[in-house]
Parts: sequence; structure tokens; C-alpha cells
Amino acid sequence: MLDLVEYRLNNGLRVVLNEDHSAPLVAVNLWYHVGSKNERPGRTGFAHLFEHMLFSGSTHVGNNEHFRYVQSVGGVLNGTTFFDRTNYFETLPSNYLALGLWLESDRMGFFLPALTQEKLDIQREVVKEERRQRYDNVPYGTAFERLLNLAYDPDYSYHWPTIGSMEDLGAASLDDIRDFFSTWYRPDNCTLTLAGDFVPSEARELVEQYFGDIAPGGSFPKFDLVRRTQGGERRDVFRSAVQLPRLYRLYHLPGMGAPEWVHADLLSTILSGDKASRLEKALVLDKQIATEVAAYVLPTEAAGMMLLQATAKEGVPIDDVEKAIDAEIERIAAGGVTDEELSRAKTRSEVEFAHQIENYDTRADVIGMMATYFGDATMTQRWLEPYENATAAEIAATTAKRLGADDRVTIHFLPEGE
Amino acid sequence: MTDRTTAPPPGPPRPYHFPPVTRKRLANGLEILIAENHAAPLASVRALVRSGADHDTADVAGLASLTADLLDEAAGNRDGVQLAEALGLLGASLGTGADWDASYVSLDVLSRNATAAFTIFADVVRRATLPADALERVRSERLMELLQQRDEPAAIAAKRFSGLLYGTGAYGNSIGGNPESVARITLDHARDFYARHFIPNNTAIIIAGDVDAAETVATLESLFGDWPRGEEPPQPVVNPQRVDANRIYLIDRPTAVQSEIRIGHVGVARSTADYFPLSVMNALLGGVFNSRINLNLRERHGYTYGARSTFAFRRHPGPFVVSAPVRNEVTRESVEEVFAELRRIRTGDVEDRELDDTKSYLMGVFPATVQSSSDIAGRLLDMELYGLPHDYFDRYRDNIAAVGKDDIAAVAQKYIDPDRALIVIVGNAKQIREPLGSLGMPIHEMDIDGKVA
Repeated sequence: MLDLVEYRLNNGLRVVLNEDHSAPLVAVNLWYHVGSKNERPGRTGFAHLFEHMLFSGSTHVGNNEHFRYVQSVGGVLNGTTFFDRTNYFETLPSNYLALGLWLESDRMGFFLPALTQEKLDIQREVVKEERRQRYDNVPYGTAFERLLNLAYDPDYSYHWPTIGSMEDLGAASLDDIRDFFSTWYRPDNCTLTLAGDFVPSEARELVEQYFGDIAPGGSFPKFDLVRRTQGGERRDVFRSAVQLPRLYRLYHLPGMGAPEWVHADLLSTILSGDKASRLEKALVLDKQIATEVAAYVLPTEAAGMMLLQATAKEGVPIDDVEKAIDAEIERIAAGGVTDEELSRAKTRSEVEFAHQIENYDTRADVIGMMATYFGDATMTQRWLEPYENATAAEIAATTAKRLGADDRVTIHFLPEGE
Repeated sequence: MTDRTTAPPPGPPRPYHFPPVTRKRLANGLEILIAENHAAPLASVRALVRSGADHDTADVAGLASLTADLLDEAAGNRDGVQLAEALGLLGASLGTGADWDASYVSLDVLSRNATAAFTIFADVVRRATLPADALERVRSERLMELLQQRDEPAAIAAKRFSGLLYGTGAYGNSIGGNPESVARITLDHARDFYARHFIPNNTAIIIAGDVDAAETVATLESLFGDWPRGEEPPQPVVNPQRVDANRIYLIDRPTAVQSEIRIGHVGVARSTADYFPLSVMNALLGGVFNSRINLNLRERHGYTYGARSTFAFRRHPGPFVVSAPVRNEVTRESVEEVFAELRRIRTGDVEDRELDDTKSYLMGVFPATVQSSSDIAGRLLDMELYGLPHDYFDRYRDNIAAVGKDDIAAVAQKYIDPDRALIVIVGNAKQIREPLGSLGMPIHEMDIDGKVA
């Protein structure tokens, strides 16, 4: 069982300490409870562009010096943005804990004075290149964006992906950056997790020293994050420079951690992942109509989603693949899963979680996620309980309720000319 | 008040030790390496077979990796589905694959089930049956994969770069092969490759994790001790092509919104005595985020999301390559900036601070890269594959610390040649052809299969 101590500073900063001396390292991990869900139409991609800006220096840390400080002592670092959160993290030799706290507190409390138009212009270009590299210049690169567009109404902020649109990236201004920072980047919207080799009393002192004097902010803007059920299936066909037809499917779920989300997580392991899984066995091994199939749930807070994709073999109509998938899902909805299938899926969840908490960096990230989404870091210790308790009947019931045709999105991504 | 004006000083450094390694060579030549790591209830197991795609001949390129793909299709008395079921119940995942210099079977498992999983692992390593129907399915999946890569600019650039550099010899074919070569592979080819290379005296078993070393050695002896020794396979021949001058090979992708750039030439083998100065030089040049090439192209100019340089250290000289995806409009400028950095590093123009930063990064980052059992197994695998000395990880810091400014210039001059480099660009030819012309380098247009127009 992980040893967790959770407390708050007077300014609202949530702190979680996980002391572990197995390696002379410390992971410093910050989850800000802000992501692309806090963007408005016209400024999509902004939370992620902002993340880039936060590496461009603060009052006491020069441009690109954040990277330099961490790397020059043998640390590794990065940041990522998703729908519901933005995280920043570094793993340092444990005698450099103070350095990590100094760097993170400087950009939490003293970021704005260092901001310049030139820095914004450079990072805007970098992010546009990131979009080109990951979305626009690769086959199927825009599939997820297209799924989201269909799955959520235009004013619902899961309607667009974290990367945002080129047009909106171009429109982001310095004032936008200042507003976004003041609104969201504050101690009372953040969880700081330390995992690794430190003495808790010393760590507490350092955290207080570096973060204690940063002021909390005012009220948070309201976002309506209750998804309106669409009723029925939304479908689209998209043709582009790809060689093989691929099916993309999105099923709506409640948010991460809800019982049905957990069932869907187990179900996705029963459906895909190895040769014994339902869809891989049926489509890839037996019928041999698909080259690959994958199903997974996303760790999203406001609304849950399960994604499924399958690539047809050359010459196989994508409709055949879709029918075969739907037949397998109906078979589970009607006939359930075997005890052995469920047992394998539970064991898989246990192993995956064990791997996630094996290293300090990924462990700190899981802890930060639990604290941010559930308001309670000790959820980390209980995370597997609903997996262990899930029954075959529940898996079947959730499949019937959530994976039917009445609330889902289907996209056929086809080669040009098909 | 907290003093925020300067970075806080470090505390006293905490010692780090790579876990001790238990080694054993069985009578049949099988090497066993075990590192105990009880931080998590997991174990990582690797079979390293010291033959990979470097043994593929051009006519059956892809053979090593296709053979690897077949290993988990049936082994011992289980078919592929039964293997997956048995492993799944144990919380084990099994992977197989081939790289340039080696083939692998990997197993990651809950340590409480390790012994049971070892039995299945041994079946896959020793008693794969390579069934005929599986070959046809795996072949057709491979052909589909190759088909899809025709739209992936990074895959196209990588293939054309190695093809131009190594011709049809080892390292010149793609690990996955090409449609013609994959179509030619027969069951006899695969069974022959498996029989000749998957032998104990060409194999090491590496285990890191929550296991007892002595017990595990005994288990492995019982599972592998009677595996009959074979004739050691001969070393493949590597035939790098000399580039006589800088030449651009332009591959048109009319829909491209970025140019995938590769610039480089043949590098040097892992066994080079210059490994440490080269590692420091490359990290400073383009190996890490804060390196010159990335800071130049990304942070100064905003041309790319990321650019890097790599020496692919393999058993035989692998490529030195700078890679960068950049937007169409700045393709020529990016090539120019890369060449400027390649020339500058050769002049010895290195600041103390950047050298110190780079060295302290390489020295300090090691513990952060070997936290998990699978990380530790990976390090042991490198050690075994490239014949590194047993005290390699203990002496690593000292070896990096000894690198001086003069060494940087010396290895840059010796191993980087900005006058005889291959430049492969996959991009929108209509838009970038003319600007590239002003670089004064010959431009050869080729299609994505490497046919010169």
C-alpha cells in the first residue's frame, strides 16, 4: 500500500507526499485543474499553447532556462495538456528537490512579468508544427478530432481536441495568455505531488517556503459540462490519403471512475489487446478481415468515452468489419462474458496499475490525477477495488446499456476514391 | 521572505548503485543475467538472440522480424490463442520482435506468477512451431502494414535514408522488409532462421525484478539446460556506401504540409573507443532538448516541433542522422541551419557552460532512466548485446567526466562530415524544389520506393 500524506497550504495548494527511498530520486508533479475543456470556441488549443509558454521562463528563470536547470543536474521533465488538466513534472536527483520547487513556484507565482510577444510568436509556430506533425501530415491524423466534432455539441468543450485549430492558434494574444494565467494558474487550482526520496518534514518546510506566499485567485468561470445526450447514432465518411479503410467508433460513458466507466475499461481488455480477446480473435484471427483492432477508455473527467478502431484488410469493405464488431458486442450484451475472460481482464488491470505506480514519475502523476479528479489522493490506494468487485453480469449490463446504437459516433476513414 | 533570485543549492548527493548482477553461463553456452529489484511486485524477462535484421539478405528482407512475429503463434502444446489465455491469467504480457542486431522475446509478469510464466516463455523461445497457416496471416498483416507506411512521411524518409546509405547489404533493407521480399519468404526460410539463430550459444536470458536470483537460476537451468547447442552463426557483412558530396534526394509527397528532413552519413559501431566523447558531443549537438540543433530550429526559429541528431550505435557502424519535420516554407532554411550547426561543432567552438551542462546531464540522469525492472533489463540487454565490461555502469560517470573540450572537436571532426552528407527530404516537391536548388547541392528526385526519376 502506498504511503500517502495529503494536506493543504493556506492558499489552497493541495500537497501530496509519497515517501519512498528505493531510489535517490524525487518526482515533482503539478496538476493544474485546467485543460482544453476550459477553452471557448474561437480560442481552441489555448490551454496547450499556454503549457508551452510556461516553459519559456518566469521572473527569476530565463527563457529556456527551466529546461537547462533541470537537465543540467540530470533531471528529466515535461508537461502535457489534456481535456481536463495540464500537468508539469520533473524527476530529479533527490538532493535537488528544492530546485524543482523553486522552478515550479516561480512559474506559478511570477510568470507574467517575463512574458513577451516574441516568446508567444515562437511557441505559436512550434505548436502549429506540432499540429502538422501529429495531425495534419500523417494518415488518419484527424480521426480523433472528427470523432469529437460529431460526439459533442459545438458549445461543449470536448467538441475540439487539445491541439486546437490553426486559425484559433493564430488568434491567441498576449492578453489571452495573461487572462488565462490569472484565471487558472494559482495554488488553489493545483495539486503538487512529491514522490520519492525525501524527509517529509523537510519537504513540508520547502513547499511552504516556495509556495506559501503565492496568492490564491478569485472565483472560477462557469463551464456547463453536462453533456446533452444526442439520441441516435452520428455517422460520417471521410476520404483522404490513406491506404486502408478504418472504422472509428466512440461510445459515451460517465466520467472516469464511475462504475460503468470501470466496466467499460474491463470490457475493452476483453475486446482487444491479445489473441484471446473477442474482437482480435474474431476479426483478425478467425475471419481475417481486419489487420488490427483496438478498444480503450480515455481518462476524462467531465464525460467518459470509449474508443474503438479497426483497420480493414485491403479489399475488405469496411461495412463487413463494422458488422462483425457489432455482432461481437451484441453477443456480449446478450450472452455476457465468461468468468475466465473477466478474471484475465482484472489481472490485466492489476498489472497495468502496478506498472503505473512502479516509477516515481508515473506514480506521482497517478496520485495527482486522483487528487484532482476525485478530491482525494487516497483513491490511489483503492483504485483497483471496483475492478476486483465487478461481475460478469455488470459487464454485460453496461455493454447493453452503453454500447448500443442509440448514442454513439461512427466514422469510416476511407482511401480517396473509395 | 524567500530568496527567489538564485537557484537553491543542492543537498548532499545520495549514492546510487546499479543493482548487483548474478551471472551464469550454462554448459550449452546460454548466458543468464539476473538483477534483483524488489521495489514492485513485477518481473521483466528478456531473451536476447544475437541475430536480427542484419542477417536478412535483400531477397528475403524482413525474415528476422517475420520469424519473430511467428513465435507466439504456437509453441509447445499451445496455439496462439491458448498462449494468450494462459499468459493473461498469470498477468503476463509477452512480446516478440527483431531489431537490427538482435531478436527478442520479452515477458513482463506479476512476480508471484513468474515461475509459471517462465515455462511458457521457454516454450516460445525453444519450442515455437511456426505453423504454416499463421505464416500466411502474419504475412498478409505485414503487407498491409507496409502498404500503410506508404503514407507515413517519417517511415518513408527512414527507409530511403538507410537504403541510400547501405544499399542492399545489412542495415540497408528495412527491418520489416518490402512487399516483394515479404512475398518471397517461405515457411522453410523462417524455420531455418529459427533453427540456426535461436540456439543457446547465441542467446542470453536476462531477468530483472522481484525474484530470488539463486532460485531463478535453478529454474532457468531446468528449463534451458538441455537445449542443444548449435553452430554459431557467421557475422553479417555491412557495406556502407560512401557519399562523394552533399546530395539531396527529394521524394515528392504532394499532400505534405511538412518536409521530413534527414541529413547524415554512416557513423560508427558501438564498440568504438570514442563512445563517451561521441555521446557527449552528440548530446550537445542534437541529442537532448536543450541541444544546439533543437534550440536553433525550434526555440529560436519556430521551424519545427522538434529536431534531433543521433548516432545509431550498433554492432556494425550505424547511421549518424539529423532528423527534423519542418513546415514546407522553411525547408531550405532548416537544411542550412543544420549544416551551420554541423560545421560549427567541428570548429571547437564550445562554451564551458554547455559542455558542463551536457556532461552533468548525462552523468546525473542515469538513475532516472533505470527505475523500473524493465528499464534495468533493458540496460543489461545492451550490456550483453554489445559486450560491455561488467563494471560499465559503475565506471560510466568517470568516463563521461573525463571528456574535455578538445575531445568534442576531435570526435566531431572525425565522425561528422558536412561535405559528404546524404540529405533525404520527403515533402511537397512543387513547393520546396526551387528553394532547395539555391543550396548548390545536386538534387535527385526519387519516388517513395527509391526509384530515381
